[in-house]
Amino acid sequence: MTGEQPLIEVRGLTKRFGGLTAVDGLDFEIRPGEVLGLIGPNGAGKSTTFNVISGTYQASAGSMRLDGEEILGLPPHRIAARGIMRTFQHNMPFEGMSVAENVMVGAQTTVRSTLGRILLGTAAARAEEQAIRARADELIDFVGLSEERDAEVTSLSFGQGRLLETARALAGEPRIILFDEPAAGLTPSECDRLGVIIRGIAERGIAVLLIEHDMRFLLPLADRVIVLNFGQKIADGTPDTIRTDPAVVDAYLGEAGGVGADA
Amino acid sequence: MVALMRWVGGAAVLCVIPFLLQPYELDLYRKLLFWVALAISYNFLFGISGQMALSHFAFAGIGAYAVVILMTQAGLPLGLAVVVALALAAALALIVALAATRLEGFYLALATLAFAQLLIVVLNEGGSLTGATGGLTNYRLPPIFGFVIGGPGTAIIMIAVLLATLAILLRIDRSWFGRACRAIRDNSEAAAAMGIDVARTKTIAFTTTSVMAAAAGMVYAFFDNTVNPPVFGIDNAIMLLFMVIVGGSGSHLGAIIGAVLLKLSQDFLEPIVGHYHALGFGVIVVVAILIQPKGLIGMWDQIRARRVAARKRAAS
Ligand SMILES: Nc1ncnc2c1ncn2[C@@H]1O[C@H](COP(=O)(O)OP(=O)(O)OP(=O)(O)O)[C@@H](O)[C@H]1O
Ligand SMILES: [Mg+2]
Repeated sequence: MTGEQPLIEVRGLTKRFGGLTAVDGLDFEIRPGEVLGLIGPNGAGKSTTFNVISGTYQASAGSMRLDGEEILGLPPHRIAARGIMRTFQHNMPFEGMSVAENVMVGAQTTVRSTLGRILLGTAAARAEEQAIRARADELIDFVGLSEERDAEVTSLSFGQGRLLETARALAGEPRIILFDEPAAGLTPSECDRLGVIIRGIAERGIAVLLIEHDMRFLLPLADRVIVLNFGQKIADGTPDTIRTDPAVVDAYLGEAGGVGADA
Repeated sequence: MVALMRWVGGAAVLCVIPFLLQPYELDLYRKLLFWVALAISYNFLFGISGQMALSHFAFAGIGAYAVVILMTQAGLPLGLAVVVALALAAALALIVALAATRLEGFYLALATLAFAQLLIVVLNEGGSLTGATGGLTNYRLPPIFGFVIGGPGTAIIMIAVLLATLAILLRIDRSWFGRACRAIRDNSEAAAAMGIDVARTKTIAFTTTSVMAAAAGMVYAFFDNTVNPPVFGIDNAIMLLFMVIVGGSGSHLGAIIGAVLLKLSQDFLEPIVGHYHALGFGVIVVVAILIQPKGLIGMWDQIRARRVAARKRAAS
C-alpha cells in the first residue's frame, strides 16, 4: 500500500498572514490508500494547510504536485476537479437543500452533461442525473444517514452534520480527501462509525489527510502522522514513534498532558 | 407523457381565457402574464441563485425598447429585430454579470440598482432615439405569417414566453446546474470546494434570466404599442422582489402565486387608496417575512407537514 508512488507531493508549503507565518516550509507526501494524520496544538496551522491545499487561500510559497503536475494556486473548484475534496472544521451544509441534494452537489466534479443536453433532455443527461442520485443514496447509506435522506439539513444533529460533510466530499469521487477534525463533537458511537468509514475510504484506495485532536481516535487509524507546531513540522513518523517523540510530547505537554494520555 | 399533456392542457386554458375577456380585463390579464413571467425568471435569479439583483426590470425595458427601436428606426423586420434585441440584451447582461456577480448581497443590489437607474437616465435623455420622457409610440406589431395580431394575440405570445421561461428554468433547476446555483446561494465557499465554478455559474444564471426578462419586455412593448421609462424604473423592480419573497423565494409556484396576488391586489387597491397601496405591500411583506420567511409556499408546506404528522399519529 505504501510502496507506491506518492499521489501528492507538497514541498516548502508556506502561508503568511501579515507578519504571522501560519504554515512554514511544510514538506509531506501521501500515497493512495494511505491515512496521514496531521496533528498539532491549537493555532499550529493545520486548517491553514488545508485551506492552502484546497485553494481557498493563496500560498505564499511552495509547491504541490499531483501525479507530478504542479497544482498549487489553482482556484478551489479546479482543485476539487483534480480529485481533492475536503470537509470543513465547522459544518458548512447547503441549508436550503435536503440531505440527499447536499450529497448530490458533491458529485459536481463528475458531471459530464452540458446545459444544452439538459435542455434537450437527452437520454444520457437523464441517465447521468439518475446515476448521481443513486450514488448519493449509496453514500448516504455508507455514512449511516439513511433515515435522514429526505430531511432538511437544518434538522440534523451536529454529529449527523459531520457525517453529511463526509458523504458530500465522497460524492466527488476524490482521490484525496481532507478531513478537518471530523470527530470533534461526535458521540462515542458516532466516533466508532466514523473510524469504520475512514478505514473504508482508505481501502477504496483514496488517500486520507486527517486533522484530529483526539489521539485515541487518530493514532489507531493513521498509517503515518506529521506534527505541526507554530507552522513547522516537528515530527513525521508512524503513530508509535510519534507517541514517544520527545519534541511532540513537549509541544503537547501542558496542553493535553501528553500525547494520547487522556485527550 | 402525462407531464406533456399537463403542459398542453395548461397552455390551452391560458390561451382560451383572452377570448372571453372584455378589453379592460384583457389588459389586466396580459399584464398579469407579463408579471408572472418576470417573477418566474426573477425567482431563479434571486430565490434560487441568491443574487439580489435589482436589474431585472431594467432588462425587460432593454428588450422592449430595443425591439421597437430596431423595427421603427433601424427598419429591421420583426423576426430580425427580435433576434438582434435578444442578442443585445444577452451582451449587456453578460457585461453586467461579469462585473456584478463578483459582488455579494448588498453590494450586488447597489451595483445593479445603479445600472437600472442609468438605464432610466439613458431612456429619459435619449432624444428621438428613445422618445425621451414621453417614450415611444406610433408603432405596431406587423402581421405575423399573414395574421394580424390583436389584443388576445399578444396575450397568447406572452403565454408562450411565460411557458418557455418556466419550462427552461424547471429543466435546468432539476439538474446539476440548479443544484450548483442553490449551493452557491447557501454557501459559496463550500460550493467552490465541491468543484463549482462560482463566478461562471452566477454569470450564466444572471445572463439567462436577464435575457428571459428582455423577451417578456419585448412582448410587453406591443400590449399598448407604447413604451415609456417609468414602467422600467425601480418601483417595479422592488415590486418584483416583493412578489418573489411573499410567494416563497426559491419556489417556482411561490413566485407565480406571489406575482398574481400582489399584481391583483395592486390593481384593485390602487383605485381605492391611490399610491398608498405601496404602504400596504410594505406591511404585507414584513408580516410575511416575520411569520414565514419562506413565504406562502413555506406556510403551505408547514400546514401539509402538520397534517401528515397528525395522520401518522392517528394511524399509530
Ligand atoms: N484568515 C486568517 N487571517 C489571519 N490569520 C489567520 C487566518 N487563518 C488562520 N490564521 C492564523 O493562523 C494560525 C494558524 O491557524 P489554523 O486555523 O491553521 O490553526 P489550526 O492548527 O487549525 O488550529 P485549531 O486546532 O485551533 O483548529 C493561527 O494563529 C490563526 O490565528
Ligand atoms: Mg483548525
